Amino acid sequence: MLDQRLNDAPKVREDQPGLRNVMNRIDTEITVQVDGLRREFDSKEGKVTALDGVNLQVRKGEIFGVLGPNGAGKTTMIRILSTLLLPTSGKAGVMGFDVEKEPEKIRAVINMASGAERAGYDFISARGNLWFFSQLYGIPSEEAHKRINELSDMLGLQSYLDRKFYALSTGYKQRVTLVRAFINDPKVVFLDEPTIGLDVMTALSIREYILKQAKEHGRTILIATHNMAEVDAICNRVAIIDKGKILACDTPAALKRSLGAPSLVLEVSPPPAPGSLEPLGKLDGVKGYTSSVDEERGLSRIQVVVDGDGAAQSVIDSVRKSGMTVVSNWRQQATLEEVFVALVGRGFREREHEAA
Amino acid sequence: MRLHSNPWLRTAYARLWVRAKSIYGEPLWVAVNVGFPFFTSFSFTMVYRAYGLGSYAGFAILGGVMISFWGNVLWSMASQFNWDKQVGLFEIYITSPAPITAILVGMSLGGILGTAPSAAMVAILGWIIFAPPIHPFWPAVVLVFSLTLASLYAMGMALSSLYLAYGREADSVNEALHEPVSLISGVYFPSVGQGISPFPFAVQAAASIIPLTIGMDALRQSLGFPIPIPFIPLYTEALILALMAVILLFSSSRALRFLENKGRRTGSIAVRQR
Repeated sequence: MLDQRLNDAPKVREDQPGLRNVMNRIDTEITVQVDGLRREFDSKEGKVTALDGVNLQVRKGEIFGVLGPNGAGKTTMIRILSTLLLPTSGKAGVMGFDVEKEPEKIRAVINMASGAERAGYDFISARGNLWFFSQLYGIPSEEAHKRINELSDMLGLQSYLDRKFYALSTGYKQRVTLVRAFINDPKVVFLDEPTIGLDVMTALSIREYILKQAKEHGRTILIATHNMAEVDAICNRVAIIDKGKILACDTPAALKRSLGAPSLVLEVSPPPAPGSLEPLGKLDGVKGYTSSVDEERGLSRIQVVVDGDGAAQSVIDSVRKSGMTVVSNWRQQATLEEVFVALVGRGFREREHEAA
Repeated sequence: MRLHSNPWLRTAYARLWVRAKSIYGEPLWVAVNVGFPFFTSFSFTMVYRAYGLGSYAGFAILGGVMISFWGNVLWSMASQFNWDKQVGLFEIYITSPAPITAILVGMSLGGILGTAPSAAMVAILGWIIFAPPIHPFWPAVVLVFSLTLASLYAMGMALSSLYLAYGREADSVNEALHEPVSLISGVYFPSVGQGISPFPFAVQAAASIIPLTIGMDALRQSLGFPIPIPFIPLYTEALILALMAVILLFSSSRALRFLENKGRRTGSIAVRQR
């Protein structure tokens, strides 16, 4: 049915010259395309720009991560692509359909879920809820139950299916959400922080499930997250986003390689006073830094993206000069957070504090 | 196309099933749904008897039956989408290809199916205990009862879009609406009709825009309750109820489409689940 739609696509597009440049529907490999996407919201303080001219392309069967701190614009992008929100300007398309003009066509081939959602009817069983959601897509009951069983098996939900929704733990409600997200055999799935608030083992099983869905069924999965380990583990490509702009887009490995030298990690005591790390940003060869507190050990950890050994030594000297004791220091292979630090100058936490 | 493969019917049936199953899923609710309307009817009947108006017991019993539906419309229809929005269900509806009218119709039919046994129980208990004098013309009773439910639930659908737009305080609005509407629409006593309503004509006319008022009056007439002069002739009331149902259905569908478009522009369809 979809193939038929794609074959018919050029005729549909004749009256949509704006989208024609954005989306090449003949190239069926591109499933999500965004061009110059901008979204503003009204607030008491005036206009707030959530997305500021975003461009990206996602291919069929790809798990694509959109990585950024809270408030970067990730959820806004997912809401536009899943037809919950209109762009202020620019274009976005899913499976060749324009989010603005053809939302009904998009809704038939997508699904979306947020890891933080607990959407379900409390006094209905998990199975009953999932059957209900399947009916929103007009799936025959027999087929729906088959899919519910298959998907639940993959997520270890099978023995909880007959429990009422309110009696499920957070982790199992999240599994129900993830079964729902694939119940209609979607071509494209949008997941917003799919493993947020979950324990490590549950998060791992959910990641495996997502990987299987992309590999075995050729679904395109776009994940908005601020979890770098998740992106590293399952995403084919990642776009790093901050303040509504895409700063970089490549495979996780390529992004990390782009930093060149390994980054420097310092454990210091006492914790840095406010503003005491600012001189680091002015040192030659320092691309950015971020700090966090290891509360168990009572130490602060400073991660600095440097371009070589000389800069690393300058950083250690500068930290000592500002009155902190360097308890230990080492160099480590760059992580995606350090890629973000190198691009923005600061880490996720600092960015989120700035936004707050 | 077979009926059961029609997506609109599938959605409506699924929503009906969820609503009815939820109502019966909690035994305490079933007890409360029967208990509260019956005890209120019982109190009003006692008051009528104390004043030597035992023949008015039917007013109170009919009130107990209809208040169950009114409560269901207000608490489970009007505020439902607002509640759905808070927990993330509304965005699931919007991002699915399901027609929103099918969801509303399913919700209404499920509400009627879920409330009907409690309402029937109140009617049976009331009839057995108080034996009110009635002279029903059953075809008219069935007709106006069906039209009353249709217009009442259509009003629930229209209110659901209003609550969606302005419903941050849905529970407070429900509290504020429940008793005043019960009072002016004459749930336990006739609020319209010359020689029997305690309200001036202006209040009676204003109350008539609520489907419950006209529906209750039509039911009293069709059941042959002791009413000196009918407010409006029975079949005119039936026609008004039918018109109300059509207008409210149409306007709720338009309002929801408008709100969906507005919500996509302003970002108000979804609540951030954090």
